[in-house]
Amino acid sequence: MIEIRLHGRGGQGAVTASRIIATAAYEEGQYSQAIPMYGTERRGAPLTAFVRLDDVRVRERELVHNPDVVIVLDPLIAKNQAVVDQLKPGGLVLLNTNLDPKDVKLGGDFKVATVDATSIALETLGRPITNTAILGAFAKVTGQLKLESIEKAIYKYFPGRLGEMNVAAVRRSYEEVKPAIQAVVTEGPEAKVDINVGGYGVLKDVSSWRVFSPEIDVDKCIGCKSCWIFCPETAINWTDDNKPEIEYRKCKGCGVCANECPVDAIEMVRVEA
Amino acid sequence: MSYEVMVGNKAAATAVKLAKVQVASAFPITPQTTITQYLSEMYAAGEWDFDFVNVEGELSSQVVVQASERVGARSFTCTSGPGLQYMHHPMTGTGTGRLPVVMAVVHRSIMGMQPDHSDLMAQQWTGWVHWYVEHAQEILDTILMAYKVGEDPRVRLPVAVGYDGYVISYTAEPVEIPEQDLVDKWLPPYKATPSILPDEVDPSSFGRGWGGGDPQMGWKRLHDASNNVKTVLMETMDSYYKTFGRRYGNGLIEPYKMEGAEAAIIAMGSIAGTAKSAIDKLQADGKKVGLLKLRCYLPFPSEDFMEWGKKVNAISVMDRSICIGKGGPVFGKLRDTLYDQEERPKVLQFHAGLGGKEVRVGDVVNVGEKTLKVAQGGKVENLVTWV
Repeated sequence: MIEIRLHGRGGQGAVTASRIIATAAYEEGQYSQAIPMYGTERRGAPLTAFVRLDDVRVRERELVHNPDVVIVLDPLIAKNQAVVDQLKPGGLVLLNTNLDPKDVKLGGDFKVATVDATSIALETLGRPITNTAILGAFAKVTGQLKLESIEKAIYKYFPGRLGEMNVAAVRRSYEEVKPAIQAVVTEGPEAKVDINVGGYGVLKDVSSWRVFSPEIDVDKCIGCKSCWIFCPETAINWTDDNKPEIEYRKCKGCGVCANECPVDAIEMVRVEA
Repeated sequence: MSYEVMVGNKAAATAVKLAKVQVASAFPITPQTTITQYLSEMYAAGEWDFDFVNVEGELSSQVVVQASERVGARSFTCTSGPGLQYMHHPMTGTGTGRLPVVMAVVHRSIMGMQPDHSDLMAQQWTGWVHWYVEHAQEILDTILMAYKVGEDPRVRLPVAVGYDGYVISYTAEPVEIPEQDLVDKWLPPYKATPSILPDEVDPSSFGRGWGGGDPQMGWKRLHDASNNVKTVLMETMDSYYKTFGRRYGNGLIEPYKMEGAEAAIIAMGSIAGTAKSAIDKLQADGKKVGLLKLRCYLPFPSEDFMEWGKKVNAISVMDRSICIGKGGPVFGKLRDTLYDQEERPKVLQFHAGLGGKEVRVGDVVNVGEKTLKVAQGGKVENLVTWV
C-alpha cells in the first residue's frame, strides 16, 4: 500500500487533487481511497488530504499517519518543517517551489523533488490553482501512475476546455519537475507550526491561517467593545484599561473586528511570508 | 456496469436516483449537506422525474416525506446529528404510520461536529428499522435494499441507513453503479395501499385505527413487523447478490474471517472497516480473532448472535455510542441475547470513536488481543474499556 499526504490551502484544490489521484489509480486497476481532513477550514487556510492506493480494497478508515509521499501545493506552506512530520524514512516530498531540490531547507531522511507549480498554473490556467499542475510532477517522480491515467481522470473532474487547460498544466509539470535527490539538510529546524486544521478552532493555534493580521491602535479605540462582541473566535480579550487585546493564536485573520470597529482603530496588515 | 470514484454522500444520492425516488425533501446540515447538493444537481439536470421539496427545517422534511409516502410516492430524506434530533417527533408518526420512507443518517455526534452513533441510537423508540454501513459501495447497495425491505408487505416500515459523517460521507472511493434497467426490474415501482394494512385498519383512521380498541396492540404490531425484517432482509440480500453480484453477509451481520475463530469483535460502520484491517494483522500473527460486523441493529439479530455465541469463547463489543448511565447499546443487547444460553461466551465492552475520536488499526488489534486472552481462559481485567 502507498500512502500519500497532501498539504495545501483551501481553494488550491488539494481535495480535488487527492480525488484525481484516486480516480487515476482506479483507472489502472488499483483500489484507492481519498480522504479530506475536515475541520473548520475556509478558503486560504492550510488543509490536509490523504490518499491510499493498494492492490486490494482499502478497508481501514484511520487518517494517514506515516505517509510514503508528501505533496505540498503551496510554496509558503512548503517552507514549514511540519510538512515532513511523520514522513516514512526514505520517503519522498514533492514541493511546489521555484527552489532547486538542493536548496530546500527541510531536513531529515527523505528525498526531495521540486516543481514551480504556481508559475505553471498561472501560465496555463491563468490562476494560481496548483492542484493539477503538481500531478504531472507526481507521476514523473514517483512512477506510481501513468500520465495518461491522470489526464483521463482530469477530464472526469473538468470536462471540455477546462480539462484541456488542466491537462496542459499536468504535461508541463511532468516535463519541468526537478528530479528527486536525498535531502541536503539532515536535521530539520526546531520551530514547527501546526498546519493541520482538525480539531476545534479556539482550542488550537490557528496563526498559520492568517494572510492579514489585525493590529489595534489603542489611542484611537473608544472602548465600545464591538470587536470583542463580534469576534467569531473569542480571540479578543478585554484589558483592565478598557481596551481590546488580541490573542493571536486564536485569530484566523478574518477581519470582522476591523470591519465592525466604528472608529477604524483596527487595521488589517498583510502577513510577511 | 459503470463505476465512479465518489464520496459516500454521492453514493447515497446515486442510490436515490437508481431507486427512482419520487419525492425527496431535506434540510442541509453538515455532514449530510452534499447529499442535498447532489440531488439538486440531478434535479437541475433533469436526470429523472422527481420533486425536491425545500423546507425550513428537519421537522418539516420528515413531515413532507411522511405525507408523500402516505399518498403513494417513494420518498427519501436525509439528515445528521442535531437535525435528526429535531426530526424525532414526526419520525414516530412515520414509524407508527407504517410508511416505508428511507432516510440516510450521516452520523454526527449529538455532542460536537464529528461522527459517532449517538444521533441514530437516540431514535430507537420511533418504530424505524436501523442499519449501519461501512463504505460508499455499501451505502449505494443498502439504500436500494432499504426500499425493497421497507416496502415489503410483511414489513412496511421506514428504514434509516446510517454511515459515519466525514470518514465515509466525504471520503472518495471506487463505487460500482448498477445498470438502471436491472435496478428497475429488481425494485419495481412503489405501490401504495389504500391504508397501511387494508384488512385490519379503517382507512379513514390514517393508520391509527389498529388494535380494535386495545391501545397496546399498535406497539405489538410494530414490533412484530420489525422482527419480520430479519427474514425479508435475508431474502433481499440473496436476491441482491444474484442480481448485482455483491453481498454483505446475510444482510443482518457480515462475518469476516470467522472460520476457526476463538474470539470475535462486534463493530458497526466505519470502525468495522478498520477492524477488518486489524483482523488481517491479527490472523497473520496466528491470532484467531474474527469480526462480526453488525449491519442491522434494529431489529437486533439475536438468532445469529446466539449461533455465533456457541462458536467463540469471548466477544468484544465496540460501541460508538453510550446511553449515559446505562452503557453501550449493542453490548447491553448482546449480553441479554446470550443470557439464556447454556454455554455462553464472555462479553467485553469497549467504547470507541465517541465524539469522532479516531479509531486506528492498532486500537482494534489491542481489542482483539485482549479478547483472545479472555477467550483462552484469561481473567477479565476490565469489563469496560474506553479505547
